[in-house]
Amino acid sequence: MMNNHEHDNIRVLIADDDEHILEAYREAFAEPDSTRETEALDALAAELFEPQSENQDEEEDPRFDVVSCSQGNDAIFLAKQAAAGGEPFDVVILDVRMPPGIDGVEAGSEIRAFDPDVEIVFVTGYSDVPLEELQRRVPPPMKLHYFNKPLSLFRLAQDVASMVRAH
Amino acid sequence: MPDGVLIMSSEIASLPLQRKVALTLLLIFAAFSILSYAILTTIIAPTFENLDLSTAKTNLVRAERAIQTDIENLMAVTADWAPWDDIHDYTSGTHPGFVKSNLNRPTLANLGLDILVVYAADDKLLWSQMLIDGNERGIGELGIFGVDDRAAPLLTSHSQPDDLSVGILRTDLGSILISSMPILRSDGSGPIAGAVIMGQFMNESRLARLNERTEVNFEWHPITDSPTEHGMDFLPVDPSEIHLEASDASVTSFKILTDILGEPLLILNAQTPRTISALGARTVNAAMLFLVITGVFITAVIWYLLRGAILKPIEKLALHMKKIRQSGDLSHRLKIDSNDEIGALATEFGNLTSEVHEARKALLLQSFKAGKADTAAEVLHNIRNAMTPMINGLDRLSKSFRVTKDLRVDEATDQISDPDCPPERASKFIQYIKASFNRVKNVNERAIEEMQVVTSQALQVEAILSDQEKFTNAPPVEENIVVDEVVGEAAYVIPKEAQDQLAFELDHGLTRYRVRAHRIGLLQVLGNLILNAYESIQRQNSAQGRISLSASDIIVDDKPMVRLTVRDNGSGFDDGMGQRIFQRGFTSKPQGETTGLGLHWCANAVAGMGGRISAESQGAGKGAEFHVLLPAAQGG
Repeated sequence: MMNNHEHDNIRVLIADDDEHILEAYREAFAEPDSTRETEALDALAAELFEPQSENQDEEEDPRFDVVSCSQGNDAIFLAKQAAAGGEPFDVVILDVRMPPGIDGVEAGSEIRAFDPDVEIVFVTGYSDVPLEELQRRVPPPMKLHYFNKPLSLFRLAQDVASMVRAH
Repeated sequence: MPDGVLIMSSEIASLPLQRKVALTLLLIFAAFSILSYAILTTIIAPTFENLDLSTAKTNLVRAERAIQTDIENLMAVTADWAPWDDIHDYTSGTHPGFVKSNLNRPTLANLGLDILVVYAADDKLLWSQMLIDGNERGIGELGIFGVDDRAAPLLTSHSQPDDLSVGILRTDLGSILISSMPILRSDGSGPIAGAVIMGQFMNESRLARLNERTEVNFEWHPITDSPTEHGMDFLPVDPSEIHLEASDASVTSFKILTDILGEPLLILNAQTPRTISALGARTVNAAMLFLVITGVFITAVIWYLLRGAILKPIEKLALHMKKIRQSGDLSHRLKIDSNDEIGALATEFGNLTSEVHEARKALLLQSFKAGKADTAAEVLHNIRNAMTPMINGLDRLSKSFRVTKDLRVDEATDQISDPDCPPERASKFIQYIKASFNRVKNVNERAIEEMQVVTSQALQVEAILSDQEKFTNAPPVEENIVVDEVVGEAAYVIPKEAQDQLAFELDHGLTRYRVRAHRIGLLQVLGNLILNAYESIQRQNSAQGRISLSASDIIVDDKPMVRLTVRDNGSGFDDGMGQRIFQRGFTSKPQGETTGLGLHWCANAVAGMGGRISAESQGAGKGAEFHVLLPAAQGG
């Protein structure tokens, strides 16, 4: 489990039984690189050149507090603990298959039972649970999201930010 | 119901069918025998005994009648003498010559009398004679004609012509038959001139004659104060009543005979041998023997027929079912040569097992296909998981390269080339160009790293596909496997060049253990674990690597299992990693050395064979143990 907690960031809980995927999540949801060299280069560019108009409207990168685990039961425990502490997660991302424990759908269903506001995102490498069943077991549809692997987790991070901003 | 009865009922319920039927037949036979014996002894045998008792009564009646006949004969002789003018004249005193011509010793002999007495009308004794064993004796010895004797008036004086006294009487010389009638004219007219009295002793010779005549063994005894003197244990009161006393050999019948005064005088008893009862007993025994032999024969015939026609075929069918259940071999067939219901049952069961056999084959195939589909889903899942970091890496590459697009190196070069550019500003442009170059260099280095990650993930996809290929080729059918055979094959995964530096120890007892598993699957699992151990030893750089393999019996959830243990002295792992080590993607090996799918695949394969896998280590550098639990082989 890993916790990068800061206030006002988007709080995300990720559960996936594949350690490589968890690492990729953490990378995608991490803050952008910002070294002394890049800052110096940007400062020189700003001093020497006229600003380029097309870059002015660029949106600020979202920032996340990420907590990760590899089993459905751990996800339920962490979500419950966060809700009890008054800082519930904004988004829970669940892998559907997480042997040997309970699957992501069951975990999502239990989390939904005590947190009606959290956005629940299912990410799976194999579509063995129909979307209709997911919607039935983890309502409401407006707060349920479904992505198939493989996917760009950087883009998923953007989508997660969008779904939080939309509410 | 009492506990004992319940226990007995459950014991009977658990008996084999043949024993139950045998027990039932024995019970029926025993009940039949007891019932027959009861009927024969309580109904048939008493009938014979009653016949004996009836005969005993009849014999006593015959004896009594014989005595009565003698009395009646005596009465007839008396009746011939009493109404006779000569004797009337004699007693009236007008025929003195009567004595000489009629009252003499030969007369008594001719009439068969022992006593002859003539009384006159005034109770005066006119003439008397008594013979005992041929000797004349005085009638006074009898003690019945005295003044005080109660019977005397009945004998010596008669008031009416039809007045008579006939019967038996006790005297001082023993019991006698006696008859007394009034003396009348030959035409039966009076007046009564006296009484004529005739008597006969009831002695041994009379008894012998009567016994001979009646063919009944009887005797009489005077009633005394001690009835048991003559074998009687009671004193009958009612003279008309016949009493019976039975012993094993004979029946004694008793009756009281009264004298002319109506008082009990003699006990008449007859001995009747129990010939009918003896015959009855022999008949009952013969019938019982016949019934027992018949019962045994019928029971044996029923047992033979039941056993041949029902019990044996049912037992055969039950054994067949048990054999099928134990071996699981549904192809085995049973042949019962009969067209009855049991034959039909065997045929139907055969048809049923055939259908189940076919259904099981279809189910196995379907299950195999389903397993393949499940495996395919797993593979897709794994491939997509592996592709996600690839896409992430490519995303990062694209983002990094996008940074280089924003660099304005061309503009900086133009400014430096401009002669009007102040030297300080030109120096800053040179700084910018250097920084831009460094940035490009950094992006390039990152790109190389990202490409390595992408390459690594591509290799992982390839490894997943290889694993799938191995799994696809594995036969789906489980079989009984001697552990030793598979271990020998699995050990080939160790490279030949490494075998000299490695001690590979196999427990001698491995040949004893047999497991139920997929041969290829087990081979791959053990191969994977042995290879894992070998790589772990390599990482440890141990001078003398050691891999040992052992097996032991264990009961898990009441099921017999075999535990295979692969032990090494390699790099081991930290405490607490034992559970995670089988998760997908987990590895303790250096980056780039493994796909991370080996142990995860092993765990799935072992679970698929109904087993379990676990790992333990004392810590990093202290070696590891991998335990594979598989169901023990059953039956042959």
